Amino acid sequence: MTAPAIAQPAARRKEGFSAFEIFVFSLVVALLAIAIFGPLLAPDSIYSSDIANSLMPPSAANWFGTDDQGRDVFWRLIVGAQTTLLSAFLVVTLYSLIGVTLATVAAAGPRWLDEALMRVTDIGLALPGMIVALGFAAAMGASLRSAVIAMAITGWPITARMLRGIMRQTMEQPFVAGAQVLGVSKWRLMTKHVLPNSLDVLIVKWAGDIGTTVLVLASLSFIGVGAQPPSAEWGATIASARGYVSTAWWTVVAPGAAVAITSIAFGLLGDIIQVRRDPSLRGN
Amino acid sequence: MLAFRAYSWFLSRRLGLALLTLWGLASLVFLMIKLMPGDEAQMAAGADASAAQIEAVRERLGLDAPVIMQYFSFLGRLLRGDLGTSIVTLQPVLADLEKVLPSTLELVFIAMLLNLAVAIPAGIVAAYRQGGVFDATSRITAVMLGGMPAFWLALVLQYVLGSVWRVVPISGQQSYGMASPIVTGAPTLDALMALNFGAFFDALHHIILPAAVLAALFATQIFRTLRASLLGVLRSDFIMAVRAKGATARHMLVRHALPNSLNPVLTLSGTQAGAMIGSAVLVETVFARQGIGAYMFNAVAQKDAFAVLGSVMFIGTVVCLVNLVVDILQLLVDPRIRAAQLGSQGQ
Repeated sequence: MTAPAIAQPAARRKEGFSAFEIFVFSLVVALLAIAIFGPLLAPDSIYSSDIANSLMPPSAANWFGTDDQGRDVFWRLIVGAQTTLLSAFLVVTLYSLIGVTLATVAAAGPRWLDEALMRVTDIGLALPGMIVALGFAAAMGASLRSAVIAMAITGWPITARMLRGIMRQTMEQPFVAGAQVLGVSKWRLMTKHVLPNSLDVLIVKWAGDIGTTVLVLASLSFIGVGAQPPSAEWGATIASARGYVSTAWWTVVAPGAAVAITSIAFGLLGDIIQVRRDPSLRGN
Repeated sequence: MLAFRAYSWFLSRRLGLALLTLWGLASLVFLMIKLMPGDEAQMAAGADASAAQIEAVRERLGLDAPVIMQYFSFLGRLLRGDLGTSIVTLQPVLADLEKVLPSTLELVFIAMLLNLAVAIPAGIVAAYRQGGVFDATSRITAVMLGGMPAFWLALVLQYVLGSVWRVVPISGQQSYGMASPIVTGAPTLDALMALNFGAFFDALHHIILPAAVLAALFATQIFRTLRASLLGVLRSDFIMAVRAKGATARHMLVRHALPNSLNPVLTLSGTQAGAMIGSAVLVETVFARQGIGAYMFNAVAQKDAFAVLGSVMFIGTVVCLVNLVVDILQLLVDPRIRAAQLGSQGQ
């Protein structure tokens, strides 16, 4: 038996997905499908009271039971999925845009501007994000819209910091110098050459960010500065079901499990994307 | 002398950042006040204030002056410790918050102990037996716990452990008749100071579940960080040398691998201490505990805008100060951070 002089890389399986990866992908796809199409199928009764049927345990008619207003818990979750995921996408998109803009300005601008923007980012990173978002949402008047805006204007510092670092690295690459020699304008250089070659980091971060945002959004609604009853948003649903946990556990357990499953699924998707981009992380 | 100059340089830079952060926080809170819809004087005076009262508040806050002057008088009031007045308790917000802060700090302190006591051993075992059964189960547990909303975990555990199994009290900070004379405002400390050990264990019994829920969220991060860091160290050459000289696994882990992988854990637990204070808002009300989180929660429910924003200012300030203290402590404790922070300046 002659052993190969150099050990062949065993983990050379770029193609093909593990069973676990397929499971996570299908979970995310299922959640997205529920969020997009679910509300179309929901009965109208999810916003109207039916006190005679309140707090009924799970049954064939009401899979996850009914809440204190006699509304079907299952269908409210389905409708809430759209509210929750749409809001989370909006939040992540908005703060990514803010982060991209600030990072580009910092990377391209003069030294003092870069310095100033990074100090502002330091301040943003040092403050407790959820508490500041809570303050903004409360000030603008408690509503889902306020919570989304509040999270968008407080969520950008990590993105801005990471992207600015990456853009600085990209700017040192030979192809950027080449473009500069060809007389490409600064604006064009940044938007057409540096930015597209630095966005990798955002794509990797994106899924994990959705997972965290779902959690924080539910928290803000639970505290009372986000979505308001009778909204089917999951955090608000838990807040209004809070008092019934000992008499009707399903009214609390179901929406919380929905938050957890969504947050975990997107978090795992983020981890998978990260490992695929950088296989040295495998096993960590 | 060199070391002294390096220290004072680090301290002044770090203090400067803390001051800058507090100024940024104050400006954000001022922006929040200006974003409030409706008449600011009306909001500060309360919904059922008379026209004369509202005018008095307008006068006191200087709301007829230009916005820039309002900003400076707002900063001036903050410097004097005036965070506004609650329209519910009719007390200065700062006085209200000072009363309940020890209770929150107590919760955060115990949560931090639980956090480290569970996550560090788990991280060590998981890394040492990478790919084993314990590693797999603890990683799955960490992922699950990290995705759960803290307030929901609190509600569910409160129901299961408090109502169904009755192993912990459902809510509150101490049993009826167990109150010690209030010295610090933290029930466990007060009980100890009164040498009332029954009351001490009663207060611990009340705090254990809220602290565990708060810790769960953060323990997953410590676990992941320590595991990854330790895995990196265990692969390094000097560990092979330690093994080659015949050291026991225990000696190798405790004396060599662990001290070299705790650095990121220390840094993380520093930021966590601050973040935990903010997260108290999710846990305290569920367990009907007193604290700055519960105060803010109630202020939101009662639409007491200035109490909410005063709490934001207060919590932000406490978090900044905690981070500052942790950074300085780290500098004193860890020679490598000392070298990194001071070395570049010292020479």
